Amino acid sequence: MLLVKDNIIDFIPHRAPFVMVDHLISATRERFESDFYIEESNELVFQGLFQEGGLLENIAQTCAASFGYLDQADGSEPKIGYIGAISRVVLHACPPHSVRINTIVTPTHQLGNIFMVTGQNFLDGRLLLECEMKIVIA
Amino acid sequence: MSVSEINFVAMYVKDFKMNLEEVIEQTRDFLSEEFEIDRDLILPGSNLKDTLDLDSLDYVDLVVLIEENLNVKISGEDFKGIVTFGDFYNLVQKKLGL
Repeated sequence: MLLVKDNIIDFIPHRAPFVMVDHLISATRERFESDFYIEESNELVFQGLFQEGGLLENIAQTCAASFGYLDQADGSEPKIGYIGAISRVVLHACPPHSVRINTIVTPTHQLGNIFMVTGQNFLDGRLLLECEMKIVIA
Repeated sequence: MSVSEINFVAMYVKDFKMNLEEVIEQTRDFLSEEFEIDRDLILPGSNLKDTLDLDSLDYVDLVVLIEENLNVKISGEDFKGIVTFGDFYNLVQKKLGL
């Protein structure tokens, strides 16, 4: 476990109730992994299901927290990450509330301060959503 | 890698190197399709940024497209020297050793 929610907010611009990552489990330049428990009271739960927007937000926050963590680990000033664009979204299923999802993000390309990543959320190994994102680090 | 596999790769590289014109035509194809413009606008003297109407995020798409279609990695530094498609073809030519 690299970061818990109280530390994650040092690396993302979001605040409660819109923090959608609980733990940063691992982070290397090649791969990030986090988890998140979906409370029934989560703002993005609708009719019992955690919505697509929440899954996307979870991927983006996993990414931003990881870049910030890695910057700090390298001795640099952590920068904040923002979504630049989202593409190739495939939604397989929205998870119910009261479960813990896992998220894996893989950076694929970098051009200056813009990163292209692929993100995937899982529930018990089952793929929920996959997408590409451009994350701007500023 | 077996000898036959090495020969296959060598033949592929040889053919690829002999076809810069094909690389240019392929570039016009994937760029016109991805950026939804007339391929006839993609000429060696045309301004790349203006023709494709690129913003900073689009450049990342361009990097991905070039890598996927031409197997060439382009960095941010590389783009500093690219104004026209001709500049781009020169860079690809250099990177592929054509």
